[in-house]
Amino acid sequence: MIYDEPRFLPGGDRYIEMELGDELNFDLNFLVHSLTAKIREAGIGGVLELLPNMASIVMAYDPDRISYDDLTREIMTLYDAMGSLENIELLSPVYTLPVLYFDHRTRECWEDYCATITEKPYDPDLMVELNNLDGREQLARIHSGTEYWVAALGFYPGLASLISLDPRCRMTAPKYNPPRTWTPKGTVGYGGSVTCVYPDRTPGGYQIIGHTPVPVCDLEQRLPAFADRLALLRPGDRVRFQPIEREEYDYIERRVEEGTYVHTMTAYSKFSIREYHAWLETLDMNAQF
Amino acid sequence: MLEIIKAGLETSVQDFPGRWGHWEQGFPPSGPFDMWSFRLANVLVGNAPEAAGLECQFVGPKIRFSRDTTIALTGATMSATLDGKPMPQWESVAVAAGQELTTGFATKGARSYLAFAGGIDVPAVLGSRATFHMAGVGGFEGHALKDGQQVPLNKGQGAPGRRVRDECQPAIASDGCWTIDVVRGPNDDWIDDEGHQMFLESEWTLQSRSNRTGYRLTGPEWTFAERATSKGPEHGEHPSNILDHGYPVGSVNLCGQTPIILVSDAPSAGGFINPYTVPSAAFWKLAQSKPNDTYRFREVSVDEAQALRREIDGLCSETSLN
Repeated sequence: MIYDEPRFLPGGDRYIEMELGDELNFDLNFLVHSLTAKIREAGIGGVLELLPNMASIVMAYDPDRISYDDLTREIMTLYDAMGSLENIELLSPVYTLPVLYFDHRTRECWEDYCATITEKPYDPDLMVELNNLDGREQLARIHSGTEYWVAALGFYPGLASLISLDPRCRMTAPKYNPPRTWTPKGTVGYGGSVTCVYPDRTPGGYQIIGHTPVPVCDLEQRLPAFADRLALLRPGDRVRFQPIEREEYDYIERRVEEGTYVHTMTAYSKFSIREYHAWLETLDMNAQF
Repeated sequence: MLEIIKAGLETSVQDFPGRWGHWEQGFPPSGPFDMWSFRLANVLVGNAPEAAGLECQFVGPKIRFSRDTTIALTGATMSATLDGKPMPQWESVAVAAGQELTTGFATKGARSYLAFAGGIDVPAVLGSRATFHMAGVGGFEGHALKDGQQVPLNKGQGAPGRRVRDECQPAIASDGCWTIDVVRGPNDDWIDDEGHQMFLESEWTLQSRSNRTGYRLTGPEWTFAERATSKGPEHGEHPSNILDHGYPVGSVNLCGQTPIILVSDAPSAGGFINPYTVPSAAFWKLAQSKPNDTYRFREVSVDEAQALRREIDGLCSETSLN
């Protein structure tokens, strides 16, 4: 549900959580990011941070520069002026990330988990079974058959929650219990109906199905894509996964190591929710990937 | 240059107010946990409040100075000595090249702050010199200091003998019992009346598994309102689960039955509710408490929390010096 009236909730002396709705819903998330863009554009003095997520925005503000009441009033003015969601277009670059599915690194990680923590089925096979797929090849086709929407970032620097824009490519996966103590940097994971790329070697709970040699976080800012940022993705961007073979994987890995890898991305792409809704109408929901 | 002979338990470079503007990509503000003590250390040595200094946690460092400078140690009492002679805290002190500063266990409080005239000279990462060591960002090479490192200092002139008046220093509890201000919300509507009463009337104990990421508390069981128990499946199974959302720094994040106060280096988002938030004016109390200390929470309004913050901001200035 998208609320008729958004709710403003205080978080101490310098934060506000704005709830725009109460569910996991693409239109609601698009609304969250559209409003976030409007707030940023408006440059309201005293707004220090904007943290959009699935259905809400947390804002940090400087109470010496703007009061709680004035800030919520300004936000509501922007919200009311947005008009119909259908008319909104957002700049939304598409990043293409090459992936070696069912790779050696995530296999080693799964083997280590089985040996040191507890036995579990190989992650891709578990996903094939739970989603009634023909086999691993179909899993890779489905996972790479759609663009993903960066619904939110957080929990760890550069960690993006990606949701599939093609509803036919939406799978489900349970989380590890207990969680892994380590996950290789660059692992492609799937948990609930969200996919992600692990920006660093960290613990984790998502099923792991592939590996990208391309960094999504670069604290040393060695690669050109990181010239103005440490983390590649921002909310409202899009991601596409490109299946590659081992030879291509090794080549890209060398380019990354040399510092010469250029990320594939389209800085000019816009996302129109009207066109997206129209496209959804045309889909054959029984089509097989 | 500072020669770090012994680094201490977890001594890190921090600056005020920390790293702001990159939370959206998951970078927390970091910065000194007790910003009151940190800012006064800078005021003592004549620095701007944002100059980088050291946060020393529980066990402080041993440092040799490679040139003359002026320093100040504030926050927790760490029985500091300079070449073996007791060094006063909350006071600017001249040190000469070759002298050694030794700090020990924190006896009253948990975190002390060392400022140097001119500040520590490390590169700013995303606009701040604060250390976020979980991801290796900022500070000195991204992490807490290690034995044997050489940490560069900016040139600066400070005057020795400046002192913070007693009444302008944070009153660190010596009995380990703290009253912590909290503001209701943002997700107070997930807790029922009984649950709110329980939280505000109970004594909570700080677990040893607490650090600059989160403060875990032990106490009675929470009870939940209808919103927490009848909700869509995307919110998760446990009553304390909510659809992923942003976490205010200071929020009392309820993970199952364990409240975790999210502090300086906390994750920016996740899937648990935040029924209360500790306002910034009470952070120094968290910073100066130790495992097994006890908390009682006192509810304040947003306006009161902002007034408390302004009061502390006002104390972090020259007017607090003798």
